[in-house]
Amino acid sequence: MADNERVLGVIRDAVEEINSTLPEDQQLEFSEETALFGPSGALDSMGLVNFVVAVEQGLEEEFGVSVVLADEKAMSRRTSPFRTVGSLKDYIHTLLEEKQHV
Amino acid sequence: MTPLERLEQVFQEHAGDEALVWRDRAYRFGELAELADDVAEELERSGITPGSVAALEADFSPSGIAALIALLRRAAIVVPWAGTQPTVREKALRVAQAEWIVSCQDDGSVKCVETSQTADHDLYQKLRSQRHPGIVLFSSGSTGEPKATVHDAACLLDKFRKPFSAPRTAAFLLFDHIGGLDVLFFGLFGHGCLITVEDRSPGAVLRAVERHRGELLPASPTFLHLMLMGGYHEQYDLTSLKTIAYGTEPMPDTTLSQLSAALPHVRLVQTYGLSELGALRTQSRDSQSTWVKIKGEGVDWRVVDGMLQLKTPTAMLGYLNAPSPFTEDGWYMTGDRVEIEGDYLRILGRESEIINVGGEKVYPAEVENVLLQVEGVAEAVVSGEPNPITGKIVVARIRPSGLDFDAKELRQRIKRHCREHLEAFKIPVRITFDDEAQHGARFKKIRAASNNSNAEEADLPVEKSAPP
Repeated sequence: MADNERVLGVIRDAVEEINSTLPEDQQLEFSEETALFGPSGALDSMGLVNFVVAVEQGLEEEFGVSVVLADEKAMSRRTSPFRTVGSLKDYIHTLLEEKQHV
Repeated sequence: MTPLERLEQVFQEHAGDEALVWRDRAYRFGELAELADDVAEELERSGITPGSVAALEADFSPSGIAALIALLRRAAIVVPWAGTQPTVREKALRVAQAEWIVSCQDDGSVKCVETSQTADHDLYQKLRSQRHPGIVLFSSGSTGEPKATVHDAACLLDKFRKPFSAPRTAAFLLFDHIGGLDVLFFGLFGHGCLITVEDRSPGAVLRAVERHRGELLPASPTFLHLMLMGGYHEQYDLTSLKTIAYGTEPMPDTTLSQLSAALPHVRLVQTYGLSELGALRTQSRDSQSTWVKIKGEGVDWRVVDGMLQLKTPTAMLGYLNAPSPFTEDGWYMTGDRVEIEGDYLRILGRESEIINVGGEKVYPAEVENVLLQVEGVAEAVVSGEPNPITGKIVVARIRPSGLDFDAKELRQRIKRHCREHLEAFKIPVRITFDDEAQHGARFKKIRAASNNSNAEEADLPVEKSAPP
């Protein structure tokens, strides 16, 4: 699925952007298993805020749609979409599909 | 002697002195006095009685000033209206319950038109019972309804009763602004000369200062920043200028130190004026400092929970359309958060403009100050945007210096600079660029409406984890 690569590309860019602001020993790796936010995650709340906005901006550039990742819907999910790169990717797919059906 | 009687005396004693420069022509006090008499006759003919509420659509023209004086002498309640905000005019005139609209014609005469409204507000009744003239000013609050403040003109002008001399002053502020009116009356009572400008751009204002030997320039930090950025101060002969009085919004440290370096012969002082209280006298610690002492006869201040409260003899009677902002014992709650050092105060900004990021406070002015240090940034406006993770996030709208810029590169440069100078939670998360000017007719920053929406914030699920 081509979209999968494009979404991952957007997340990769955002990870790189965040890494450029983090010290050497706190750098995020990039894989679907990479923990983002949570007990084992590398990001604090400001890091997450910045990361999420970076992904939103990336998606807008890549897909030409404006997607809000951090909203009440995302926050009220039992499992946060911001746990790992993989869960975020899945959540983005869900949102993009919803957009296409509207 | 009432303040208006004192003014009459000044007009007689200084009939031959320059009172006003308008469209590059000088008008003497004697001419203004004659014009005021003409307007008085017209008011009489039209049937504007003492206690009437009259909107005065005017600027600092000879007939505008004459009409203001004539209306006050008639003990009318004047609503000055400079016409820079046509979209809210109808609403403002309705809120003020204007019974008359007095406007200045091109030939220098005034036209009086009666409206269908009746002004019966309690505050108006109070003025009428004392036979005092009134002035209604709209509070230039950044968002929401404009609030109409009612002043007893006798109290507002009382501080000018003692003889003094005013310098030649450029009229940068507007006719319907507390600072603008203060400058006008300061000049009239102090038999100084008011130098009016065609528009409020740096070029027009500095040209007027050069041409008419202006000594005092009251201006906003935004205007001064634009002036420095465009190098306007280098194009005009400003040797006559002795003082720049800045106010109406917080002064960025960067702008202040640039200004002091660019115009070393000019004394820089901060003013502090509020539509609700009148313009207060202040004393800056020095030209490079934003710390001020609030002075003035009968003016008292205190700080409660970090917020400035003031008691002044020039305070308004109240709002026409909002609850009283005074404490029970008569202190005005400014809504300005301040720091104290001995007798000196530093105004950090409006409490309502503070952005709450996960429980941490961010002052837009502080962030804007850092953004302005970045090469390629011409103007910066910082505001808050709702965010479910931290409640609010800091966002910045930037006007780049040139049209030719790489957005991605500039954004990175800005963030890098911010990381060196600001805590993480203060760094703008979202940075957008546009080339529109970011100031209104008052040369004051326009911040997005979202930063005042506390109700909106309360509805959002806010994660309580504090930022690092």
